[in-house]
Amino acid sequence: MRTYILKRLLQIIPTILGITFVVFVMMRSIPGDPVVSLLGDAYTEENAIKARQDYGLDKPVLLQYVIWLGKLAQGDWGASILSGRPVLKDVLVRLPVTLELIVLSMAVALAIAIPAAIIGALRQNTWADYTATSVAMVGVSVPEFFLGVLLLLVFSIGMGGALPSSGWVYLPGTCQTVVCAASLWGNTQHVLMPALALGVGRAALLTRLLRASMLEVIRTEYVTTARAKGLSERPVILKHALKNALIPTVTVMGLQVGFLIGGAIVVETLFAMPGLGTFGIDAIIARDYQQVQGFALITALAFVFINLIVDLTYTFLDPRIRYS
Amino acid sequence: MTDDRGSLARPSRPISGGSIQEAELPATSDVAWRAKADRAESPFAQGVRRLRRSTTAVIGAGIVGLLLVVAIFADVLAPQSPIASDQTHTFERPSRDYPLGTDQLGRDMLSRVIHGSRISLAVGVSSVLLALFVGVPFGMIAGYYGGRADSIIMRAMDLILAFPIYLLAIILMVIFAPTAGLIGTMKVTGAIAIVRIPIYARLVRGSVLSIKEKEYIEACRALGVRDPWILLRHVLPNCLAPIIVTTTLGIATSIIVEATLSFLGLGTQPPTPSWGWDLKANVAFIQSNPWISLFPGIAIFVTVLGFNLFGDGLRDALDPRLK
Repeated sequence: MRTYILKRLLQIIPTILGITFVVFVMMRSIPGDPVVSLLGDAYTEENAIKARQDYGLDKPVLLQYVIWLGKLAQGDWGASILSGRPVLKDVLVRLPVTLELIVLSMAVALAIAIPAAIIGALRQNTWADYTATSVAMVGVSVPEFFLGVLLLLVFSIGMGGALPSSGWVYLPGTCQTVVCAASLWGNTQHVLMPALALGVGRAALLTRLLRASMLEVIRTEYVTTARAKGLSERPVILKHALKNALIPTVTVMGLQVGFLIGGAIVVETLFAMPGLGTFGIDAIIARDYQQVQGFALITALAFVFINLIVDLTYTFLDPRIRYS
Repeated sequence: MTDDRGSLARPSRPISGGSIQEAELPATSDVAWRAKADRAESPFAQGVRRLRRSTTAVIGAGIVGLLLVVAIFADVLAPQSPIASDQTHTFERPSRDYPLGTDQLGRDMLSRVIHGSRISLAVGVSSVLLALFVGVPFGMIAGYYGGRADSIIMRAMDLILAFPIYLLAIILMVIFAPTAGLIGTMKVTGAIAIVRIPIYARLVRGSVLSIKEKEYIEACRALGVRDPWILLRHVLPNCLAPIIVTTTLGIATSIIVEATLSFLGLGTQPPTPSWGWDLKANVAFIQSNPWISLFPGIAIFVTVLGFNLFGDGLRDALDPRLK
């Protein structure tokens, strides 16, 4: 097991090199450079050349990448070209916001999908099943931002501002800067709508998947055996059927992380949250190369780690799966 | 005895849409009829027949058909110009003159929603077709020839897949620099297509891997048929079913991605009407004018739902094993 995890961690390296390198090259192929917005009114040809030298932007792209990697190996994520702030610090300040959003939206997705899929599969072709599958169909067809707008209309505008439409209050203990608002209640209010907006679409997708695999599993012989030996329905479904049906669902959840990070960009933009998503898109649009690299790196890390966790979850769901 | 019961019980298991209908057919008496029908009906006709029995597919096809009509005849159907602003009628509530109200520039929302269908459908369909035309040949070559071609192509595809799709699409759009009109639409199409290529390459590669081992392919080779002909005439038709299903569902995804890019301000630029952009532009005024951002959103939702329903029905009709 330990060697397996070690092996997987080593495999992360090429993935991260690949992603950060492609992003590096792509960002530098965008016409124009950040020096223009950095200098603003002070822009002259002379100043621009000097600024490019200062930031090492005059060197060949490949060399710039190697320099970036070298600094990264020493734990230096570089500094923002436009604000001068260290990228790692900005990423760490924003990480808890996005992490909370993604974890909670996954929880929302599972909280909806598991019961809906069980009902759908156990009562196949009844009105309960049709309701579950139809709602899931509607759910996969609503883009996150539209669901977010609908939630805004109902909870923020319709109910006289019951929930705040934008901004953020940190979960106590997650605030990385000196001054920031942090309270459990405030945090709940702020995270509720974004987590729902992001989670419901995933819930719909997982419901469809889990229902299909539940349908397969409940017809297997070991479920019949479990029933035949006199187990009541509850442990048969929850312990024998659900655990096995969850395996393909967990795989898809891992693959969904990519979508969730993209979804976070959209939802954070809509609700004006100070998370990694808004950090990333602002950096890309401003062409703040260093910040974009930081965003790509943290995204790639998240993607790889979550998929490692997914693979390790298999051993819990199905003890026959062993890694060595 | 037990064997008999086993074999009788198995086919009557309802697994999914298409197979239920097959299982319902009487097992013995109609064998002759079935054989005849199989011979008389092309696989395509069989697919259409099964598709027409699926309520969801028919509803989906209806929505998609209606949208196509709206997009094609947008100029005739829209009561006003989608881009003509009228400063005297900004933020009108829905009324007889403006069935869906007007936006902050006094533009008729109904006309904008009608014209917006063009961007969504054009980008949705053409980006998937473009991804298909690049991805399918790659997947076929990788699967059929294997070896080095396979590892080079598939590693490249894996690299694209390793990206969260929105991140890649966003960076591509920043590189392409979003603009208005046809060129702007083509840029969005290209960005989404690049992101979607690996899906088709992987799908086709997987099918080709199993098909190329079939005896009829071996027979072709023994007869001296050339590879391109085998690929085009014998391999491709046999992996069409999953391609068609994935394409239909892929259009739904592409429409969402297009709307999302527009929502982030990176899609086709104004004045070209686009649902995602309209939704974003109107969210700023949601407090005072809650209704206007609803309509572009509903339009996106209905379109995506239509393609999803149709794709789902197609999946059941064409390939019940796909789930």
